[in-house]
Amino acid sequence: MKQYDVVVIGSGASGGAVAHTLTKAGYKVAVVEKGRLIKREEFTKDELAYCRRDIVTPNLFEEYHVIEEKVDGKWEGTPTYDSGWSFWNGNVVGGSSNFMSGMLHRMHPDDFRLKSKYGAIKGANVVDWPISYDEMEPYYLKAEELVGISGKYEKHPYEPPRSTADFTQPPTQENAVVKLLDKSCAELNIKSLVTPRSVLSQNKGHRKACYYSNFCGSYGCSSGAKGSSREALLMPALASGNLTLLSNTYVKSLHTSKKEAVDYAVVVDVLTGKEKQLYADLFVVAAQAHESARLLLNSASEFHPNGLANSSGELGKNLIFSAGGSGQGELHADKLKEIRFEELMQTGLFVNRSILDWYFIDHWWDGTFKGGSVEFMFEHQNIISRARKNSEENGQLVWGKALGEKLTERFTKQKSIRFEIFNDWLPNDNCFVSLDKTHKDKYGMPVGRLRVEAHPQDLKVGKYIAEKCEKVLEEMGAQNIYSSVSSSPPQNLIAGGCRFGDDPKTSVLNRYCQAHDVPNLFVADASFMPTGGSVPYTWTIYANAFRVADHIVKVLKEKQI
Amino acid sequence: MKRRNFLLLGSMLGMTHYLHAKPSSSFERSFKKVEATLRAVQEHMFPQGSKIPSAQSMHTIQFLFDTVSHETYDKDIRKFVIEGAEELQRREKGKFLSMNTQEKEEALRTYEKTRYGSNWLSRIMTLTMEGLFSDPIYGSNKKEAGWKALNAYGGVPRPRTKYIAL
Ligand SMILES: Cc1cc2nc3c(=O)[nH]c(=O)nc-3n(C[C@H](O)[C@H](O)[C@H](O)COP(=O)(O)OP(=O)(O)OC[C@H]3O[C@@H](n4cnc5c(N)ncnc54)[C@H](O)[C@@H]3O)c2cc1C
Ligand code: SF4
Repeated sequence: MKQYDVVVIGSGASGGAVAHTLTKAGYKVAVVEKGRLIKREEFTKDELAYCRRDIVTPNLFEEYHVIEEKVDGKWEGTPTYDSGWSFWNGNVVGGSSNFMSGMLHRMHPDDFRLKSKYGAIKGANVVDWPISYDEMEPYYLKAEELVGISGKYEKHPYEPPRSTADFTQPPTQENAVVKLLDKSCAELNIKSLVTPRSVLSQNKGHRKACYYSNFCGSYGCSSGAKGSSREALLMPALASGNLTLLSNTYVKSLHTSKKEAVDYAVVVDVLTGKEKQLYADLFVVAAQAHESARLLLNSASEFHPNGLANSSGELGKNLIFSAGGSGQGELHADKLKEIRFEELMQTGLFVNRSILDWYFIDHWWDGTFKGGSVEFMFEHQNIISRARKNSEENGQLVWGKALGEKLTERFTKQKSIRFEIFNDWLPNDNCFVSLDKTHKDKYGMPVGRLRVEAHPQDLKVGKYIAEKCEKVLEEMGAQNIYSSVSSSPPQNLIAGGCRFGDDPKTSVLNRYCQAHDVPNLFVADASFMPTGGSVPYTWTIYANAFRVADHIVKVLKEKQI
Repeated sequence: MKRRNFLLLGSMLGMTHYLHAKPSSSFERSFKKVEATLRAVQEHMFPQGSKIPSAQSMHTIQFLFDTVSHETYDKDIRKFVIEGAEELQRREKGKFLSMNTQEKEEALRTYEKTRYGSNWLSRIMTLTMEGLFSDPIYGSNKKEAGWKALNAYGGVPRPRTKYIAL
């Protein structure tokens, strides 16, 4: 009956890391991915196709979510085909990791023990992680080396410790604006740090160094420099001869014919509509947090009436996002300091700077609380969207010759610099995934219903940091500075929903991300995270998936299941 | 927010979703009836003698037609594009096309004061800019004139087929 040792559901960052480890260890693995394969040489910088027509995500009328928000004190659900607010991030082989900007950070050791450090917060379900940073560190390093994260270690009180002296890949090239940014930060007594980036600055095996294409985030990479799961992990896994990549294959549910084990996955061939079963010894769910919880909820059976592996009732609960916001200001040719305008206008090179100074706040006046991190970057270089954004004034469209004047001025006499803030999204009772009772996707499966309320503390922290970032932009001489911190979740940074923990009554997964209730079931994506840290998640997703995969190898070797 | 409201409020992001329903030949017929109006609106927004290429020289009406009639284009927005033009013709009692520039300006600014009109004009603006500033392969950024005007160029590799051959 058995076709594979392991079936992995989802080919993104986490699925790729698991597949890589298991195939290298000699196990036969099938990675099941609902999207198609787009090869390196097929990716282009077509703004219309990639950024304005959703060609790498499902048609929202066929596959969607229902998002619940509070309207006039009542929870109101709106399907995403109605709102246009999509929670898909890249559904092709390699998942969202193909399209990430690749600004990566390790979580801080204290992020693993937030409750011990700050105590309980009213209205938030903060708990410590069952593991410490020390257990994750070797895997942060593995991800750094294997996925190819470039950077430069600099000492900073809030920079997590590392077991090697520095990154093996030096930082990517930087735009001259960093001179101005670094100087301005120094004036304000702020330390700017080089951003670790999952972008190769040098060739690595079959992958070529970055050619600074100017269109990175939201686009696939044509050199293999970006550390996507497809390039960094699935390609070598395929080369091992142990990986079967089943693209265009949608997983409907996981089947159990007894309580302790999944026996097969029910899948549909997306192109023919044909359904079949995939048998394996072990199943790993890696469908991105909100969809992993949904898949387990959709896998309820007589043995698991409330959803697979949900004896705790915690499945889908405590969904988290990356809280924060962003801001920007314009650097004008006639007011530019420190660098030449031509240098500023050079395209493609990264800004590559982050600030960790406000990661933990301990101030006589402001108080003691968990803060966040900041990334600096240029405004996204997409041409249509930049032009469109600049064609309104005072609630009216600008058109005619005035539009020509405005756009040429905007594009040729200035450049916008941006910051993005990442702080903890406190887990709370009003942020979770459940199954919608009426809406179904085109395969007949109930869609995920996401309630997405943020804790008021998240906004407070975001605003606190935004004010400080605005000062940096002011010091740089930027004009028309603004920032926006909101409680709307970013759709691309999602975690939680299957908390890990040592107590099966309060968590879905154990410390190895193995389901407490079903030993041959693992969840490898960000679902396990009880708290998310104040950095984007993906380095932690890669690291943890490598950690989980090592444990799976042990389980298989020792025939524990 | 309900879909209808979403459309009427207009999406600054120009987000579109696609429904696999081939537009019928009846769409082509209704398009023909408003084509001149759509063209005139585009040409008013993007006139000749501006620092960016004109709608006329870049033939943005063709891009608009190709885009909204594409099977992947949102069927509700497709309808909205036509209905908004019909509404403009109706409001101006069929005289919009024969107006001079000043009169057209007044007519469109008055239309813009209505929420419906404002969203329709936004949509036309988006559809025209998509033509002017997308890859030349889509037909309305002829010889990269749109990109040259802004001194901003699309990245490489360039697309070899539209929408990477869905
Ligand atoms: C534009 C953008 C920019 C980003 N920038 C950054 C950044 O700078 N820093 C950072 O840390 N992170 C960034 N991210 C986030 C990062 O990409 C994700 O955190 C990461 O890829 C998540 O990994 P994952 O394995 O959980 O899911 P994914 O990589 O999304 O993979 C999940 C895969 O599972 C598949 N799948 C889902 N359900 C099923 C099913 N039922 N059957 C079969 N297959 C299924 C999906 O199609 C998808 O391919 C960015 C994301 C985007 C979209
Ligand atoms: S070449 Fe460099 S900038 Fe371009 S997508 Fe790849 S990693 Fe990003």
